[in-house]
Amino acid sequence: MPDQADRSDPQESPPIALSVDDLTVAYQEKPAIWDIDLDVPEGVLMGIVGPNGAGKSTLIKAALNLIPRAAGTVMFYGAPYEQARSLVGYVPQRGSVDWDFPTTVLDVVTMGLYGKLGWFRRPGKRERELALHALEQVGLVDFLDRQISQLSGGQQQRTFLARALVQDAQIYFMDEPFAAVDAVTENAIVYILQALNKRGKTVLVVHHDLQTVAHYFDWLTLLNVEVIAAGPTAAVFTAENLRRTYGGRVTNLNGGLLAGAAGG
Amino acid sequence: MMPLERWLIELLLNIVTRDELNAFLRSPQNSAALVGGLIAVSGALLGAFLLLRGLSLTSDAISHTVLLGIVIAFLLMTEVFRLPGDTSSPWLILGASLAGVATVLLTEMLYRSGLVRQDAALGLAFPLLFAIAVILVSRYVEDAHLDEDAVLVGEIGLAWANTNSHCFSNCESVTISPDHDAAKFARRCSNCRELGISPRDERARFTEICSNCREYTPAQAWSAGLLEREPALVFFPKSITVMLVLTLLTLVFVLAFYKELKLSTFDAGLAQALGLRPGALHYVLMILVSLVAVGAFDAVGSILVIAFFIIPPAAAYLLTDRLSLMLLLSPFIGAAGAIFGYDLARGQLFGLIAIADGIAALNRLFDLALPEKWDSSISASMVLMMFILFLLTWLLSPRYGLLSTVIRRAKRRRVFENQVVLAHIHNHQHTATHEIELNVAGLHEHFRWSKQKMSRVLTRLRALGYVRILAGNAVLTERGDRQVHAFRKTMLEAHNMPDLSG
Repeated sequence: MPDQADRSDPQESPPIALSVDDLTVAYQEKPAIWDIDLDVPEGVLMGIVGPNGAGKSTLIKAALNLIPRAAGTVMFYGAPYEQARSLVGYVPQRGSVDWDFPTTVLDVVTMGLYGKLGWFRRPGKRERELALHALEQVGLVDFLDRQISQLSGGQQQRTFLARALVQDAQIYFMDEPFAAVDAVTENAIVYILQALNKRGKTVLVVHHDLQTVAHYFDWLTLLNVEVIAAGPTAAVFTAENLRRTYGGRVTNLNGGLLAGAAGG
Repeated sequence: MMPLERWLIELLLNIVTRDELNAFLRSPQNSAALVGGLIAVSGALLGAFLLLRGLSLTSDAISHTVLLGIVIAFLLMTEVFRLPGDTSSPWLILGASLAGVATVLLTEMLYRSGLVRQDAALGLAFPLLFAIAVILVSRYVEDAHLDEDAVLVGEIGLAWANTNSHCFSNCESVTISPDHDAAKFARRCSNCRELGISPRDERARFTEICSNCREYTPAQAWSAGLLEREPALVFFPKSITVMLVLTLLTLVFVLAFYKELKLSTFDAGLAQALGLRPGALHYVLMILVSLVAVGAFDAVGSILVIAFFIIPPAAAYLLTDRLSLMLLLSPFIGAAGAIFGYDLARGQLFGLIAIADGIAALNRLFDLALPEKWDSSISASMVLMMFILFLLTWLLSPRYGLLSTVIRRAKRRRVFENQVVLAHIHNHQHTATHEIELNVAGLHEHFRWSKQKMSRVLTRLRALGYVRILAGNAVLTERGDRQVHAFRKTMLEAHNMPDLSG
């Protein structure tokens, strides 16, 4: 992958990391996402924002072939997912797994390497070191031997994050990494995401809190079954777009919230 | 199966003599324990994954619906292809594994329709397939040993009797034809049935037919007294071979796909995203569950199979936090259950207590006349023994057992009581109200505790050297003061996390 460290250079526009074309996903003929077209340039930290049932998780899952698509294509650096697996890191919702599973923090992080290892090969010393390194980055090295149910919610989320880091991908998909974590953990996670972003990685985050959108993300997709708007946060995060995304439900979108958008 | 058995026997004959091997296999105890143990080992390995996937009851469903596969394959064999109705034919095993997969597919189809819940879908699918099987058995398959008893609890006690014979030297097969010296003849009325007359009727005509003319394997020839030299024979129980093959298959599957099974059990989404094909793995797992269920069918029937799949991993789950260790422990727990379970059926508890003695003691004590002889269902006793082992881990497991949980909780409660009282003394000891707040006689009232509880806690704190009594008031010692600060520090730290941005 080309180094995107100096993407501030306005002369060269970065390549498209993720390209979604005419993507529709339906659950029993009821569309969850409808004719999505989306180009995400390399090296952005993008929020995916929209009301409940807007299809945010569905978009991620359809992109990663986890659920069948009714129509459309998704390309990663111009390649379909089957050929781009190693470029993609995935952090599912924390509630999607059984945390009573008999396994340790280090083991869960090592699972991120199973794709690269391929069939039959077992993780060895090298994999252990990579996993330890990822645990260091999220500040969980002291917990490596803990059974995962003994972690707090924030620590569980950071374990998942370390598992994605160890994948050493180019594009990261994160499904609500801030769900039910406290402010300190949220800051720590944001710090990790921004560090990834500084290394030129493209990071897509399903997010709920409008208060922090402008602060966290430099790129934004507003989604409500259809894409309402996508692009640089400063251009997309407007009162008009939010009204179109949330309908009448957001009535108290005051100037204070959007002033942050203009400033960011 | 036969060449494999022969190879295995040849291997064993390097270690033991032929007589020893025969004596070992001919003991009902050894064969039952071996078959039960192998069912438990393969069942436990697969069951660990079923348990962690929340699919425990699927093994019960499959162990029933395999009957449908067996019956359909049996009918196809005998009625359509006119093959002999051999109940250990590979076609039956194939049919059974297809029935297992059909159960899973049907359940998922019902569930995906969105009209029934997952547990209900299973509850709908498996009785349907089982009911069809029962109807087919009662309508078409009369004498093949698919009777109710076999379906209920199996015949593991007879595992030793159903054998293949292998001959290693002096192997003469004998064919007796009518001109053979040993041929025996019987007179039979040839027209009695036709005319409806008794053989004593004068119209009866008789023909001589040979009653023992057929081919004899060396084993049959020897037992019929047709051979002068004894052939070197080994009789190998068929179910041991079947379960041995299935156990090896299971072992290879779990070892080869350990990492893939682990990830697709823990997080199927990531497994699929990484290209590990959790869907395909799921069906291979279900096929293996079906195969083991069929293999176990003869021995332990349909009803009890689930115990061999679920109880050992459920016990192992309480003993460890590691999947690898859980997979290592469960087969041992299962095998121990099978071996001690056989003893239990024969009236021995862990080889220590004879149940007959216990009943005799009861009889003496209460003047009863209970029968003292103890001889009960082997498969049920194996399951009971597995449950006893589970109960022991449930009570005694060092980490999650009931006993250690109670002890841990009591200890935590003591520490908590100590800290509450210490903090109270700490907060009041240098204030104006300390005479009221810290007076030992009235201290319990501030906590709304009983007098006994407070004096118990105070005694403990004084013994630990945290508190002194000074003029009727409780006062912290230096040690107690340090304890208050140390506790506050650890309590606050538990909520913090290392700073990443710094």
